[in-house]
Order: sequence, then C-alpha cells, then structure tokens
Amino acid sequence: MSVSTRLKDLRPIYVVGVGLHPYQKPSEKPYTALGVTAVRAALADAGLAWSDVESAYTGTATTAMGMSRLMYRHLGATGIPMAQVENASASGSTAFRQACIEVGAGLSDVSIATGVDKPLGANMPQRAAGIRDLAGSRVVPFTHFALLANRYMHDHGATPEQFAMVAVKNSSNGALNPNAQRQQARTLEEVLAPPQISGTLTKLQCCPVGAGAAAVIVASEDAITRLGLDRRRAVRVLASTSRSETVYRGENFDAALTKQTTAQALAEADLQPADLDVVELHDAFTVEELLYVEAMGLCGEGEAAARLADGEFDIGGRVAVSTSGGLLSMGHPIGPTGAGQICEIVTQLRREAGERQHPSARVGLAHMVGVGAVCVVHVLSME
Amino acid sequence: MTRTAVHPGLYDPNQDTPNLMGTQCDACSTRFFPPLGIGCEVCGSEHLAAITMPTTGTVHSTTTVHLYTGKDIEAPFTMAEISLDDGPLIRATLTDVTEDDVIGARVRGEWFTMEKDDDGNDRVEPRFRIIEDGA
Repeated sequence: MSVSTRLKDLRPIYVVGVGLHPYQKPSEKPYTALGVTAVRAALADAGLAWSDVESAYTGTATTAMGMSRLMYRHLGATGIPMAQVENASASGSTAFRQACIEVGAGLSDVSIATGVDKPLGANMPQRAAGIRDLAGSRVVPFTHFALLANRYMHDHGATPEQFAMVAVKNSSNGALNPNAQRQQARTLEEVLAPPQISGTLTKLQCCPVGAGAAAVIVASEDAITRLGLDRRRAVRVLASTSRSETVYRGENFDAALTKQTTAQALAEADLQPADLDVVELHDAFTVEELLYVEAMGLCGEGEAAARLADGEFDIGGRVAVSTSGGLLSMGHPIGPTGAGQICEIVTQLRREAGERQHPSARVGLAHMVGVGAVCVVHVLSME
Repeated sequence: MTRTAVHPGLYDPNQDTPNLMGTQCDACSTRFFPPLGIGCEVCGSEHLAAITMPTTGTVHSTTTVHLYTGKDIEAPFTMAEISLDDGPLIRATLTDVTEDDVIGARVRGEWFTMEKDDDGNDRVEPRFRIIEDGA
C-alpha cells in the first residue's frame, strides 16, 4: 500500500484548546446547548474568539442531519465552512482528523472538531443493505463482545474476574473526572454483580450511552504566533491514521484492525509502543481493553490481564490506560467520544489533569473503532 | 405440508435437513454466508455464483444471552460463532448446551419450528446442535 504523505510531512499541527460538556444520561437539553458549551470551553481554554475559527467539523452519528449550523450560529454566524462527519463510534475521532488535515494542508490556520450527540436514533447499515443473517437481533454489540470474551478465556485461560478488573480500574479513574457519566469507583464485587447481560458481561462491564459534547481546536504555528496563543500549552499532533477492515480469515477484526492502525500511527510518529505514557482506547466492553492493549503492543499476547493486575495500566503505572475513565466510566455518547479522548490526552500532556494526572505524561495515543469496521488512531506529544 | 423460512433466501425450508444458501466467487473461490451478490469482498470480482453449503462446522465461540428484548426466543439462550466446514464464520443459535466450554466441538444445523404461519405451515429456522465427532 502506498502512503504518499504522512501527517508529519505537512506543516506542524497543534491542539490549542479543548472543552467538554459533561457526558450524562439523555435529557431534554438540546444538542445545540451541549455543543455550544463545549465549544465555548475550548475557545476559552485556547484564548480564542469564535471569529478566529476558520472551519468546523462536527462528529455525530445519532442525532440529526445537517446539524452543524443550527449549533454554531449561537456563537455568531461567521459563514465558515462546516460539515458533519459520521463514522459510527469513530465520528469524533474522524472529525478531529479532518480538522488536522485542513490545518496541516494550509486550508485553515484554525479549525475546530466538535463531537456532539443525543441518542435519538442510530440505524445499523445492514438493514439498508438488505443483509440478513441467522442471528438477527439475537446478536447486538454486547453479545458480539461477549463472544470475543469467551474465545479469549478459552485461548488464554482468563477468568471473568480478570475482565471485571478493567471496569474496577476505569471506574476508579472516572471517579476523578467531573465530566464522566459514571463517577463512582466500583469494587470487583460490584462490577460482577447482576444484572448479567451476555456471557461474562455484567451491566458495569458495558459502557453507558448518553449525551454530551467535546470540542478540540487545532491550529498552525502561524496562528499560534499571529493570535498570541500560549505555545507552552500547545500539544503537537504527530500522527493521524485511519483504516478499514479487510479480510482476516477468523482473526477478530477489531483487534486485527487495531494492530494495523496503531502500528501505522506509531511508525508515522517514529515511536515505539514503549514510548507511550497515556492511552485512551475503545473500552466499550471490558474485554476490549485486554484485546487492544495486546494488539497495540503494550504487552504480549495473553498477558494483558496479568499486567493489569500488576497495576501497569493504572495512573502512575508503566502506561496509564483510560485515565478519563474510558468509555466504561466517562461514557460513550458516540459522536463526542473520540473528540473527548483527545481532550483527555491533551489535558494529561499539559499536566493539567489534577487528581487523575499520570506523572510522566509526554506522549499519548487515542484509539477508536467503529461499526463498519473502521479504526482511527492519533498520536500526540508535548514538545 | 410445506414449511416456510423465518429467513427467506438463506435456506430452503423444504429440504429434509438444512443447507445454507451462500455464494462463491468465480475468480478467487472465496465462499460467503450470508450470500454476497454485488461483488466479492476479497478480490472485487462481480461474478459470484449461488451455492448451497452443508451446516456442519466447528464452534469458534459461544455466549449465553441474558438480556434480550425480542420476542422470537426466550432468554437465556446460547449464541455461537461457528466456523463452517465450507469456510465462512457464521453466527447462529446453539441448543442444548450442557458444558461451559464447547469451543472446538463439532456442530450441525437442524430444523426448529418457531410457530405456525397464517396458512398453518411450520415457520422454521436452523438451530445448531453439538454432534459426536465424525457423525
């Protein structure tokens, strides 16, 4: 496969502002209010005015068509180009990637990626494609991942308790995050308690899908100088990679795709897995964290549960995984999730994460997979 | 009496034992179930032929589903990923599972009657059952 240009070969791209609306249970609050809250927070964080923003990408999958302008108009209608980016769970990640490409290519000096969603309606593409299988509605995402968990137990001798420990760790991180939908630290007994959902998965091992928003402002070096932004708080985007599923012949596609996309991102950034300090990954279900830390090369195959038990993925451990609480505790409002991961990585790399600060954070990686399947990975670094 | 299919186009409900209706790529020979008709996922060929596949295969994974809002089956029930002898990895309902780990077990589909349709015919789907090795 030929890759003609790496993101790193474009002009340098920096995250200069991040902002969130807390992830929460669905409510009557309109998406416009959710999104504008996050955008205003990101503008204030960067020290920018809305009139400085030259283009806008909105990551969304479950709310409505054509929703950008109805939201951004509340900041003053400046006439900038804006569009929705739908890429299932990776919508926010892909909106961020588009903003990076726009700034890197020189089309904009300042671009914003805003993830925003309310769970009003998501349609799986199989129905529109006229695809039916024998499983039908008997296999929904939690059963897809319960099947993976069972295979992982068979292959590696893992136990239900070891999967549950992922939720114990991430709930303890989420308890320190005021933007998280679940802010309660949970014991192993609480995580394992009913209701049983599918296979080893209990309710607290499945992410909550609610509403929220996350905004990330991307800028060029020129913009940082011209607009007098704080260079010490600017976080460099070293790599942006996006891949889609190919034919893996029996190997799990989410893990195989994660392995390929992460390897490509690290190669583009001239880094090794061991260089990563903080990682946000798609832990919609506990088993996924074990699968993906192995696929990323953060530990060997079949070793993730033992490394987790050793505390290697804790805040203060060898590499902190999902300091935000991850999808399991911060939540997974779909459109915002990937953008929210960038907010967390940037906050960690700036050493502004307060109680949940990972001490040595210098290089971070954000990873999402989405229905399709697609995978989007970003690598960021504090220079 | 004729039988009708819960999933029209995926099997012929009037065979004695179930077979699955898939496709095979003329160019690279990859077999698909559910059938791909528009183009081949592996090589992009537009030429795919209809084939029937036996339901014999090997269990790749299983899970007991506890939370289910549908009405066509009562929870808990077992769903399986099955690696068919003809190639495709499919998902289907597995019946009468008594052991915790049945990964690697040999399975085969058999007719399960869901209900009578309006004309009094049995509406059937294939469900899978563990068979003795070599059976």
